[in-house]
Amino acid sequence: MIELIISHNGKNWTAKNDLLSAEAPTLEKLDMELERQVKQKGCLEKGENVDLFMSFDNSIIPQWMRQYSQHYFNRIIRLKK
Amino acid sequence: MAEINRINRRWYSGMDTSEDWWAVWLGLAFFFLGLLSVTGIDFVGWIAYPRTWVDISKSIAPLGKSYKGLGALGSIGVTYVMFTIATCIGAYCMRWDLKKFFLGWTFIFFLTYVLWIIGNHAFFAANIMNRVKYGLTTSLSLGGGGAYILALFVGLIIGNFFKNFAAFLSEAAKPEWFIKTAIVFLGVKVGYMAMKAADFVFELAITGACATIVAYLIFWPGTYAIARKIFKLPRKMSAVLASAISICGVSAAVATGGAVRCKPLIPVMVSALVVVYAVIELVILPPIFTATLIDEPIVAGSAMGMAVKTDGADAAAGAVMDELMRNRKMNMDGTKWEEGWITTSAVMTKIWIDMFIGLWAFVLALVWVYRVDRRPGEIVPVSEVWHRFPKFVLGYFATWIVYLIILFFLPDLVPNAKIGAVPVEKGMRTLFFMLTFTSIGIITNFKKLVEAKFGKMLGVYCIALFLYIIPVALIVAYIFHHGMTVPVVH
Repeated sequence: MIELIISHNGKNWTAKNDLLSAEAPTLEKLDMELERQVKQKGCLEKGENVDLFMSFDNSIIPQWMRQYSQHYFNRIIRLKK
Repeated sequence: MAEINRINRRWYSGMDTSEDWWAVWLGLAFFFLGLLSVTGIDFVGWIAYPRTWVDISKSIAPLGKSYKGLGALGSIGVTYVMFTIATCIGAYCMRWDLKKFFLGWTFIFFLTYVLWIIGNHAFFAANIMNRVKYGLTTSLSLGGGGAYILALFVGLIIGNFFKNFAAFLSEAAKPEWFIKTAIVFLGVKVGYMAMKAADFVFELAITGACATIVAYLIFWPGTYAIARKIFKLPRKMSAVLASAISICGVSAAVATGGAVRCKPLIPVMVSALVVVYAVIELVILPPIFTATLIDEPIVAGSAMGMAVKTDGADAAAGAVMDELMRNRKMNMDGTKWEEGWITTSAVMTKIWIDMFIGLWAFVLALVWVYRVDRRPGEIVPVSEVWHRFPKFVLGYFATWIVYLIILFFLPDLVPNAKIGAVPVEKGMRTLFFMLTFTSIGIITNFKKLVEAKFGKMLGVYCIALFLYIIPVALIVAYIFHHGMTVPVVH
């Protein structure tokens, strides 16, 4: 499993860790870009699945709203060879 | 900010850094102090509690008999020190600006006590049955509701006319934190009330759960349809609005925004609308329900729980209505209803609603990911249900259950347990309700409604809330709660 932090910068979704960094206007495009980078870096071995676990960066929830809720979403994308 | 504060990756994420968990820790800390009374020593009776007064020297005193020697100022001082230490530890752990919090908290704390005392003057609080005792010929019969209304009113003046000062206070004006802590204390009250009327408490809990499920299934699709069919809003925005208006306000908006994977800006905009509307409901619904539903107080409480979004505004509205209804009933026929049951019905309904939001958002996420967006390879983690579960509810049920265990299995401890329960369920709970009223006022800026240009969202909210949610809430509450009356004080 590869762990990333997902966020939104007001225009694009972003996902990054020490190895990968992607930015796209839609989640579909973000996933495609991540898949491309994963393949390029050789993280996807033949015959294996790789899960990308994306934890949302909840610090972008405004301070005044955090007393109501501090969790936006986490998501998993399963990449298949 | 350290990574651990930004993401919810593990089941224990946020235990030391979120307000939700800190409501549990704060509530349980004072609950355990209160519980120590089973040893024969009262550790919580120092809490300063205002009484109805005409002579200012008799306006406030410690609740515990063993702390009478403290006097008024002594008990306020001890109360301030105890809660300042506790809340500052919480603020420190949550990485707030501690200096700003301390100064803001100090101001809000003393302002709240001043308003609490003023609001309990016999002119505001006394009813037709006891005004003669205070030498009055007329009074407003507001009970403790006068203090709540006053705190809200003064808070709103600060929030709307002294905006720089309100911005400074906002570090400490945390209505959701205060009300969640108060709800943990309310668990003590429900447990304590169960000692007197166990059957009624269980009936209230079960009917409340049923009403909540029915409401969920009716509210959400109807509100979504209003947004989609009448106002032609996009799917994701409609879903976020539907959850905010029909379920539990800001937390539902955020949960649904995440579930349908919309840009975070949408739930932020909707949330700004929620907090203002919740205050409008808090102001107008208690007197309307009091005037029209005096024969069905539990129906009124439950409907309030379903109609008012945000925990703070709902519990606050329930508390105001509790005071108004009990005093109206006493003025009408001399019947003295027990305090707290109407508030409990409003809060219990809301708690069921809050508890289901994680599950609801999970179902929405499944629908959106697998049926609407159909993104290949995406999996919705089941842990999302836990991350969205309101943790303060754990504290509420824990305190409730401990008192039930004492009631059923350790009856010899009941007399001593009551000594520690009263300062918590009465004094501390009411203090945190009062802090909630003051804080809600401070952070509510009505001008945001004009400035933000909400357009269609404002229309959806107004129509759905007043023409759909509130009437349906009343019908559902009536179906499940009609005939339930508040126990009478003999």
